[in-house]
Parts: sequence; structure tokens; C-alpha cells
Amino acid sequence: MKIGIDVGGTFTDFFLVKDGEAPLIHKTLSTPEDLSIAVLEGMKDLAGMMEPAMSPENFAKELDTIVHGTTVTTNATLTRRGAKSALLTTKGLRDALEMRRGIREEQYNNRYTNVVPLAERYLRTGVGGRLDRNGKELEPLSKQDILDAIELYKKEGVEAISICFMNAFANPEHEQAAAEIVRQELPDAYLTVSTELLPSIRFYERVSTTALNTYVGPILSHYLGQLKNRLKDIGFGGILLIMQSNGGVMSPEIAERKPAQTLLSGPAGGPGAGLIYAQAHDQNKCLTVDMGGTSFEASMAVDSPIMVNDGEIDRHRIALPMLGIHTIGAGGGSVGWIDKGGLLRMGPESAGANPGPVCYQKGGVKPATTDANLVLGYLNPGFFAGGKIELNINAARAAIEEHIAKPLNLSIEKAAAGMYRIACNNMAQGVREITIKRGFDPREFPMIVAGGAGPIHSCLICNELEIPFQIVPRESSILCAVGMLMGDLKHDFVRTFVSPLKTVDWDKLRGVFDEMSAEGASMLSEEGIDPANQEFYLKFDCRYLKQYHEVSFVMPNDIVEKRDADAVAKAFHAEHNRLYGYSLDELDVAIEIINVRVQAIGQTDKPVFQEIERVAEDPSAALKGERSVYLPETQEFAEVPIYDGHKLQYGHKVLGPAMIEEVTTAIFVSDSFDCIVDQLGSFVLYRKGREDLVEGTLKGAVA
Amino acid sequence: MSKVDPILLSVYARTFKAITDEMSISVEKTARSPILCEAKDFVTGLYDGEGNMLEQTENLPILAFSLAPVCKYIIDYFGDDIHEGDAIFHNDVFSMGNQNNDVAVYKPIFHEGELVAWTAVKGHQADIGGAVAGGYNPNATEVWQEALRIPPVKVYDKGVLRKDVWELIFANVRLDIVEHDMRAQMGATVIGERRLIALLDKYGVESYQDHKLALFDSTRKMMEAEIEKIPNGTYYGEGYVYYDGHHLGSEFTIRVTIEVKDNHIKFDYSETDDQTNGFVNGTFTSSASATILTLLQMVNPDIPHNEGMVEPIAIIIPEGTLLNASYPKATTFGNHICPPNADAIMKALAPAIPDRITAGWNHLLCSLTAGMDDEKGDRYVDIFFLGQKGGSGGMQGTDGYDHIGMIDASGGVLTQDYEMFEQQTPHVLNLHEYAIDTAGAGQWRGGIGTETIYTIGSDDTQFVTFGDGDFIPAFGLFEGQDSTLNSIVLTFPDGTEKTPNNKDLWTGVPKGTVYHQFAGGGGGYGDPKKRDREKLTAEIRDGLISEDAAKEIYGLGA
Repeated sequence: MKIGIDVGGTFTDFFLVKDGEAPLIHKTLSTPEDLSIAVLEGMKDLAGMMEPAMSPENFAKELDTIVHGTTVTTNATLTRRGAKSALLTTKGLRDALEMRRGIREEQYNNRYTNVVPLAERYLRTGVGGRLDRNGKELEPLSKQDILDAIELYKKEGVEAISICFMNAFANPEHEQAAAEIVRQELPDAYLTVSTELLPSIRFYERVSTTALNTYVGPILSHYLGQLKNRLKDIGFGGILLIMQSNGGVMSPEIAERKPAQTLLSGPAGGPGAGLIYAQAHDQNKCLTVDMGGTSFEASMAVDSPIMVNDGEIDRHRIALPMLGIHTIGAGGGSVGWIDKGGLLRMGPESAGANPGPVCYQKGGVKPATTDANLVLGYLNPGFFAGGKIELNINAARAAIEEHIAKPLNLSIEKAAAGMYRIACNNMAQGVREITIKRGFDPREFPMIVAGGAGPIHSCLICNELEIPFQIVPRESSILCAVGMLMGDLKHDFVRTFVSPLKTVDWDKLRGVFDEMSAEGASMLSEEGIDPANQEFYLKFDCRYLKQYHEVSFVMPNDIVEKRDADAVAKAFHAEHNRLYGYSLDELDVAIEIINVRVQAIGQTDKPVFQEIERVAEDPSAALKGERSVYLPETQEFAEVPIYDGHKLQYGHKVLGPAMIEEVTTAIFVSDSFDCIVDQLGSFVLYRKGREDLVEGTLKGAVA
Repeated sequence: MSKVDPILLSVYARTFKAITDEMSISVEKTARSPILCEAKDFVTGLYDGEGNMLEQTENLPILAFSLAPVCKYIIDYFGDDIHEGDAIFHNDVFSMGNQNNDVAVYKPIFHEGELVAWTAVKGHQADIGGAVAGGYNPNATEVWQEALRIPPVKVYDKGVLRKDVWELIFANVRLDIVEHDMRAQMGATVIGERRLIALLDKYGVESYQDHKLALFDSTRKMMEAEIEKIPNGTYYGEGYVYYDGHHLGSEFTIRVTIEVKDNHIKFDYSETDDQTNGFVNGTFTSSASATILTLLQMVNPDIPHNEGMVEPIAIIIPEGTLLNASYPKATTFGNHICPPNADAIMKALAPAIPDRITAGWNHLLCSLTAGMDDEKGDRYVDIFFLGQKGGSGGMQGTDGYDHIGMIDASGGVLTQDYEMFEQQTPHVLNLHEYAIDTAGAGQWRGGIGTETIYTIGSDDTQFVTFGDGDFIPAFGLFEGQDSTLNSIVLTFPDGTEKTPNNKDLWTGVPKGTVYHQFAGGGGGYGDPKKRDREKLTAEIRDGLISEDAAKEIYGLGA
């Protein structure tokens, strides 16, 4: 028995699988004062939900694995509640962290201020000692400077220290010597050494990533300590794994060393989970969209979830491989407003859960996406969250009238339709960010739709992008928790390895590959992974000579045996062309290698989804009634059938337009789509006339 | 005429922005010169069939507002001779270009045979010929001593490369990376074209044309509403320029009279000093860009950037003045007359909108080295972005931004990464930190300036300075104080110290010479004695303000 647990800001989601039984889904309110409380409460709830009900102790004993995603480090960064941090760096360069290369993201906004640095200036110390660009020592390390700094840090109660020296990517010796002193003098302080975390070139990226790791390290250690204690108290003796930003999992011990790897832990389950539902239709790629109350996340997978080599959190650079998840401020709570030029806008301001949209009647006054959805008939006022929250449609209408309809001189319905359309357009732009901008055509991907509010908007998003095929899993409201059980153990390594591709020293390259693989193997073994289940993937970051940014691509490992530079060049040209619309293949421009990367993967046992029993196409047994709903294709309201999603089974076919209602979500099948339930119970929406997309599911229909 | 749909209008506005952003990412990721891909000294834009601005991504705003005028010039110039598959280069400052080194690519976009739009990318090239590598030639008195002039020229004609033209251009440029960088810029215009055509395929040309006009209209209204918030009146301000590169001690004054009437604003520079005999001259578009980007600092930052935004703004700059040099004057320094131009505008409007202007920003003082990286056996040109970032001016309620650099870029241009700087040049960086007591004191202080030291890493280095701010500081406002000055000093291996003029060109600078630069802070706003004590205490602790200054200027403990 395994559980995926996704601890979010508002809800903690659970997904339980047990061999031979249907999976269980559960949601409980998060407990911000100590997030591990909700984890335990939810597990006790689950014990009670088992057939037959179990005691928490028996439940804990039967549990093999818990995979845990957490926003604890994300929130500590966003709310500035990390550790009191210091930075030891090269003399003369201590401000790089705060200067952020001199960017002001909003150029015309003189009220826009810089971010508060992760280590304050008086705790950033320049230390004597210098390496040149090749790693050769120009000046020996000043141990005295370090000892003096440590005196100050002791006095100031510093909890965590970063070490990041200039050009250390080429030679880590000074950093290691400094670390030695810190470990001796301040053994209790949390320590991050830049070249242990990220031994690659670009000083700002490295110092920022190192400082983030340091800043959240003690917080994560504290939280994991609490969690482990609570789990021990109820007798859990299985394996606890932590979700990483790269979509893999790791042991809590490694998480404590590389906490920056958990900054995207929460949403990282989504892309991998999406792929499972796509695979049920013989597709090995998909887009996954997840629309919650305040944000919309979009990601992509081709064979496996798409990765990026760097990103940002709260305007701090983080240069660690992570899933390419694009987040925008669009959710059910996003507020509609008219800008000064008279254009309708949605978000990024959000009414959140409190006060929430106007129709919740908890004090919200500005109309939100959810209010528009209610006016358009997509939400059932008496069946929101299964009837737990009553929605007031008159309040929603009044707010839309006042704030949107009157200023634009539109009817309330037209105004609501406009809000709906702009919200969908914003989300479609979010999907463009991760597809078209990376050189992929979104029309070639099935879209996996998650989040409570997602399936109301997905048809219009798909119309915008001409996507013909979408899948709404039964578990769509807790998709990330599902993904957590699908993750392998995953560790990324990088070495800067500057060399012309043509004349690369293959012995040296092989050495670097072996070194990183050995490091990965030792981590995986520490996590109890048998060598037979360990895999290593080789990646190159290359560029045309004198280009500034690199293109990353995977090569088969045996390239280090075959020593085939032409094959590497060919792969590089192709990827450059795909990303930027051209390659210099014919001009014979030299290519240089900048970094070599290895990803070490430890295969975990994945739960097997049970296929459900097939029924006839006719869904009328699930019909609940009819309701007037807005159809974006004709821009008119029409009576459409409403189905009870819980009664729909494998093989049932619902023709659009229609609504399908579940406790945690509502699905709008627009005029352009029809829907069939597949063998995993997912609602599969395909463009009318494109039955070919669901041939497998349609085949062998029961009469 | 198709009906304008208010919702579809928002869709167009967002998509235009997405297109120019995507073009920007493409240049950043594929270019070679650090000036483009590290510093982001380029802009991307989308224009309609008549050359009107639809949207721009303005990493460096001073480059941006000359793209549309040049687009219109190109349309006139080629007339009927514009075809699908053309690509046109341009840098000529006497046909609306802003600076010789800022070379643009324009690509006409056709839909069903009709010219409907243009994409354009302009970037600061590492070299564009002329007498001095890198383009900054303080000795120049006419344009030919500065650069290769490129009036509109087709490098692709109906999709076919004009090999002869291409080779003529690049035979006159020192560095081969420039050729590849122009390819990267062309790549981005193609990416913009693909996206716009997808939009036109979906909604049709008629809908696009109608909504475009509606978008201009809505943006114009936003801009007019902002101008209406400035009290009607006539305002006057001055900004100062020091040294023309030829006559030590020379000074020049920019004089602007601003007339605000209801929802229109007029900037009249008729009283500005005459043009200089050196390269310290603006072009009309570099100066008008400076005016627009300064005004944009005082209005709602969310206004879209299209033709409607500039409509309510009138700018008068007579030819033959410092801000609009006549043919064939040298003008490479013209972009950098933006800071004193901005000073004149801020000072003029300070009494009218004291809550929206800032105190003075640090003026640019920059340098450039070129030569051989002996260890790598490679030529390099490096604009030293690392040293030039001073602070912006304080404003009511907000301190100036530290280490932001010139107002022409407003934080859009980045400094080199330290390690990349040492990879790309033979130099060794010794210091790059905030400099204590550089910010102009005030209740809201100016942004903090920086101190930078590096050691020159190979012999025979060509060394160029271009800038200002070493004679007068950034000004304080409403009892706020002035900042410190800019300075550059070189210490040669034999121990002699030499201060270059703020526009200077040296050759043969030896290996081991130590370069030492201060970029001043921004001006302060309001009485320093009223500065928040908690902030002040933290600034003393952090070594940004000295205890002496805190006592004497800020009145701490008094």
C-alpha cells in the first residue's frame, strides 16, 4: 500500500493505492502552523475510509511507501521566513547576490523595488583568495578572513552559511578548504558549498542557487524532523520519499542536503501523472494543465516530463534542473476588471479562498472567474463541492453588472462570457509559453486537465489552440498526489567542460561521465536502490562557437565508447533548429561543449491502475436533468443535459454540449466536443468528427 | 467593416505582446555578442502595414522608438518594390536611425498577397566598421569616421540571399560574430512572422485591421488620461552635457519647454544649444526616444506600447541642435545624451507633479576595451557594462533603485556575469560592490552607486571611454541632496595614474594596468533628516552609509 501526499497552501491531498483495489482519494484542510499535523490527520481519515475500517496503527503498519510533496520551502521563500543566512564569497564580489546583475523587471515603474537579498549585506563576507578562469590559483585562500567572519556569524546567531567563490567551477579546492573550517568552527550551522550543489559556470546563477539552498535548508530539516517523528509515533516503518522539482523523488536525508531541489516539489507531480492517462490512449506525450483557485500551471511531457536547466523563484535565480512548469496568475478566484483604456482584464489579482468569489458570499465584492462560470451555467449553485458551499447567483450577477457589464455597455451574460473568454485566453497563452515558445505544436498533444476549475475551461482553451483531444482523469482534482507515486528516484549532476566538440578529449569526457555516474550510484545505493534498477543518462549543453547560451540534449551513453563527435553535432543542429528556427549545419560553424550532465535514475515500483468494467454507450442512467448553459461556439445559452459523473462508467458516451458533475469538479463538454469514458474511468473529450482519436476506447463497445 | 469585439480586442493586444516577447527570447538565446545576449542591448517590434507600432519589447528603450519611424521610411523608400521573403537592414542615422551601431532587420509580412505588417529587431552590434573597433570614436567629426552607413538595403530579395550585398557589408565589419548576430536577429523576425500569420489565418485581415485601430484608440485614451493628470501649464527645465571630445571644458545645455494642455503634451527643444563638432550629438529619433521613455517613467506603467501611446505627444527638435544633428555630423554618443535630456524633463515637471517625478539619475560613464585575448588567440570587444551602473533618483515614498544604471535602459540592460566576463576577455575582475555614501541623501535616498576594479589582461589594449556625470552629480530634489560623481582612473604597471577624459580613446594600454571606476548614486528626494531611522541604522550596519554621513547629513542622534 502506498500514499502520495501533496501538501498545499489550502488543501492537503491524498491518493492511496492498494494492489487489487480501487484507489482512494482524500482532501483535508492544511494546517499552516505545523503542516505535518494535516498529514497525520488525513492519514487517520484514510484509515477510517478503508474497507473494512482500520486503526491508524494498523494502517501505518500496512503502508509500504509515502511519497510526499511539500510547499514548505516554496512558502518560506515567498514569505521571507527562511533561515538567518550568511555568505562567504570572494573578496570584492559580495554584492552579486543582491545586485542580480542590475535588473529592474519593470523598467518604467519607479515604485518597483529590488528583492530583499537572501543574506543581508553585513553577513556577506568577502574572503581573500583568488582563482583565474582556468582554476589556477592567483592568490591563496585567507583562512584568517574566514575565522574573522565566523566570529561575527557566531555573535549574530547565523543559522546557515553559503560558500561560493569566483571560478570555483574550474577548481573547488578553495571552497572545500573554507568548508572544512566552517564545519569545525560552526558544526551546527547549515552549510551549502556551491560546487557541491552546482559545479557549473556563471557566478550569479551559482551564488543565487547556493544562497536559496542555504536559506531553506534549516526549515526543511525542521519540517522533515517533525514529520518523521509523527510517522514514527503511529508506527510507520516504510519508506518516506520527497518529491523534487525535477519530477523525481529522493530520500529525506538527501532532501536535507539539497533542499533547493524541493522549491517546486508541490506541482512537480502533475506532468508525470498526466503522462499515465495519456498512455492509456497509446500516446507517449501530453500537455498537463492544472487550474486552482489562484494559479494555473501548464507543463509538457514527451516520453517524460520536459525539463529546464534554470528558473526563478520570487525573482531569485535558481539554476537546477527542474520540470518546465509555467505558472500564471489565472484561477477560479482571478478578478475581472476594466483597465484605463477600457479593455477587460482578468487577474492576476485573486480573491483566493478568502474572501473568495462574490458568489461564495464571504465578503468578496469583485467579480471573479467563478462568478462568471456560475452566471454562464457551468456551476450548479446547489452542488458546488458536492453541496458543501452554496453559491449565490444573484450576488454574482450584480457584481458582474456593476464592474464589467455597465462600463462596457454589455449585458450581464455577455460580460460574463467575456470574462470566461479572457480567462481562457490567458490560460491558452500560458500553454503557448510551454509549447510554441519551445518549438512544439500544441495540436499534436493530448491535453490532460486537472484542478477543480480546469475542466470548465478546457474546451475553450482547446478551441483557441486547436487541440482536438483532452482527458479529464477521475483524480483530476488531486493529480499532483497521483504523480508523486509515479516518480523515480532522480538525481542530476553537472560539470562545466569547456571544449571544442571536434577536438574533445574523449578520455577526459569519459572520466567526467564516470565520476558523475559513480556519485549518482552512491546516492541511489544510499537510498536502497539495487544496482540493477539504476540508470544513467548523458546530456550535453552545446552551442555554436561564441554563442552565449547553450542548447541541452540527450545522447546515448555509448557515445563515450564510440567517440562519435559527428553524432553529437547532428543532434545539436537538430535541436537548435527546432528551438530557434535555424541551424548553421551547412555553414560548418564550430560547436563547443560547455557542460556535461548526468541524470541518475533509480526505478521505483509504480502502482498499477485497475481497469474498470465496460458498459454500453448509452449514458442515460447517469442523467440528472437539464440546465441552461452558455455555449461559446454559438455565443448563446442553450438547455444541455447534466450527468452525474460518479455514475458514468467505462464505455459511456456523452455528446456535447453537456455538463458532467462530480463532487470536486465540473466538466463542460462544449458544442465542439464529444466525450467517452475510458478504461481508467477518465473522461475523454474529442473533437466532433475525430472519433479516430479514441478508436481504441470505442472499439469493442458493449451492446 | 467587421465589428470590433471588446473581448477579441484584448486577445489581439495580448497576442501582439506575446509575439514581441517571443522574438526577444529568440535573440537572447541565439546571439553571440555578450552585448546582445548578456546585456540584452536590443529591441524587438511588430508594426502594421503602414509602419505603425503594434507592440515592442524594449530591453533598451532608447533603441525602441526609432523602429517605427524607420519602418515608415523604408515603406516610402521601396514603394511597390516590397515583396514576400525580403529582409532589409538599416542603421543610417540620417534616415531616422538612432545610432550607427544599432543595426535593425525589417521583415515585411504578407497575408494572401497583401502587405499587412512588419517585424523588426534592432541590436547594438559589437562592431559596424568605421575607424575604431566597437564604434565609439571620440575623435570623429563626421559619420564616415564612425561606421559603415547602411541606408535601407535588401539582403534578402523575395527569399533569395543577395550574396554580393551581404559580403559587401560584412567585408567592412571587424568581427565575424556580427554576421551571426544579424542572422540571429533575422531568425527572430521569422519567428514573429510565423506567429502573426497564424493569428491572421484565424481571424482574417479585416478583423485584424479594425481591431488594430480600436487598440490604438484605446491606448491613446489611456495616455491622454495620464497627461490630463498633469496640471495645465508651461514648464521649463535644463540638462547639461560636458565635453564634446575635442574641446576640454566645453559645456552644452539642453533646454526644454513643456506645454501641457488638457490631454496633450508638447516638448519643445528649440532653445537647446547648437550641435557640436564632435560625436556628442543626438539624432532626432535618439532624442525623441529619450523624451518618450522619460515621460513613460511618470505615467501608468501598464499602458501598451503602440502608436496610440505616442499620438498625444508632440516633440519639436530643430535640426542643427545638439539633439538633432545635421548631415554629416558624427552622432555615436547621441544615445547617451538621454540622461541630461531626462534631467531637463524631470526638473521641468517637478513643481507640477512632485509625486511622480524622480530626483536625478546617475549619468552613464562607460568604457570599452578591444584587443587580443592572447591565451585564447582570439579578438574581443567588450563594452564594460559591469562598471557603469549607478543609482536612480529617489522619489516621494520610494528610494532610488541601487545599481540600476542609465535611465535610457532603466534596468533593462544587465551587467556581465563575472565568470563569463573573465571567459570572454583576458581581464581579471577584482572588485564590484556597492560604494558607500554614493547615494544622494534624502528622506528617500537615491539609488546606491558602485565601485569596480579590474586588471587588464593583455598588451596593446584599445581603451575607449564614453560618458558623462564626472563634472556634475545627479541632482537632489525638495531638500534631497546631490549624489557623488562618476570617475575612471587607470594605474599603469609603472605606477603612474591617469584619468581619461569622459570621451577618450587610448591605444597600447599594457597588460597589468588597473582600471578603477566609481559610478555615482542617484539624487535624493526630501529632507534627509526625515529618513526612516530603522532603515538608516540597517544601512550603517550594512556599510552603505557611513556613521559620519548618518550624523552630519541625516542628523542621526541629533
